Amino acid sequence: MKLQHYLGGLEGLGPITVETRVFVEEWETRIFGIHTAMMALSPQLPLPPTPSAFHTVWTWAHLRTGAEGLNPFDYFKYRYYEKWLGGISGYFIENGYITEEELEARTAEYLADPEKPLPQGGAPEIDQRVERYLAEGDSPKRDVAIQPDFREGDTVTVRNVPTLEHTRLPGFLRNHSGVVETVYPGAYGYLTDTGTDGVGAPMPVYCVRFEAKNLWPGNTEPNVTLYADLYAAYVTKPVA
Amino acid sequence: MTDRFHHPDDREARSAARVRALEALLIEKGVITSKTVDTVLTVFETKMGPFNGARIVARAWVDPAFKQRLIEDAPAAIAEMTDLPEGMAGAEGEHMRAVANGEGVHNLVICTLCSCYPWPVLGLPPYWYKDPTFRSRAAREPRAVLKEFGLTVPESTEVKVWDSSAQIRWFVIPERPAGTEGMSEEQLAALVTPEAMMGVAVAASA
Repeated sequence: MKLQHYLGGLEGLGPITVETRVFVEEWETRIFGIHTAMMALSPQLPLPPTPSAFHTVWTWAHLRTGAEGLNPFDYFKYRYYEKWLGGISGYFIENGYITEEELEARTAEYLADPEKPLPQGGAPEIDQRVERYLAEGDSPKRDVAIQPDFREGDTVTVRNVPTLEHTRLPGFLRNHSGVVETVYPGAYGYLTDTGTDGVGAPMPVYCVRFEAKNLWPGNTEPNVTLYADLYAAYVTKPVA
Repeated sequence: MTDRFHHPDDREARSAARVRALEALLIEKGVITSKTVDTVLTVFETKMGPFNGARIVARAWVDPAFKQRLIEDAPAAIAEMTDLPEGMAGAEGEHMRAVANGEGVHNLVICTLCSCYPWPVLGLPPYWYKDPTFRSRAAREPRAVLKEFGLTVPESTEVKVWDSSAQIRWFVIPERPAGTEGMSEEQLAALVTPEAMMGVAVAASA
């Protein structure tokens, strides 16, 4: 199991951080921009082709799989965008866009001279596609007719699916039962196939209501209800 | 184990140099252009941001029928506001839902697995939302967490915690503060913070 899949409810962490800035260091803006461009240029999207050399798939699922695969101590050690920088640099090296040596050498140059200008140029179609992706998005809703197994008001039990790498199932819900609050209209795919974990192909999604006192008996606050959006693969009929 | 959390003294300078090196190489290799990153950042300064959510909430405060439509079908209601920037159903806003605070109910939006956030109406998530300590604790002890934000929610008020784990991006319609009668929508929008629209704060008082 991966700690990152079971963050909800983890105890002993101390006070929260009430920092309201999005970026706490200026450099963080750059890795956010690179990541967003990668998502926009990823070839599976139905957007106009561009001269960009980016030819491999990159989605939220790829970023998350990397973060979920980290040593859990590192997950807590590094800030949010530090993890992005590590994961995205590694992706470009693993997929042959750049080499580790190039990145190290160039990093040393910018460490010695942080003001050294960036190279200039590039095809404007690349930036047009990035803007278009942001404006149009990438809905996971799929036009397939699938009848949901459950209706609003039904009790469902969360399956203990065999997750290997990536999941969209909050771990603290496994084996717990809740009540279907909403059956979202239509069917929803996911950015990648999570294998035995079970999401990827279009399927219904349910908003399921859980009582916190059932999730953490004797160890939560009164009058707390928790709602989670769960892909159909994650829920089943309760055992009678 | 002892230096498990050690960071070098030049932690930030190293990251800054590394991300600049990465951006430079990606420009040279034709993956992105020298304007790509700034193009993305400009969108979040001008088109997708909490300034939209604040206007939507202000509209809901002055128009109860709009508020009802916002709760029932957020994308359709938001689309009625034709003077909002383009892209209100764009990236990370394809399937948004709004939940309203009211008598006896306080809503809190979290994402225990990552940092799902309704970009078009709220922009990018603040640091606190992405921090693993918040994500861990808010699920089990939301009132204790809200108290650390300076917000006391009595036990008689139901706390509804929305864990963003699939396609929906949630946001909260906070309650209209007292003493704001007669204020314009623009004045009301200025009272609405990203924190209020995620449920860790209430709207500022007038």
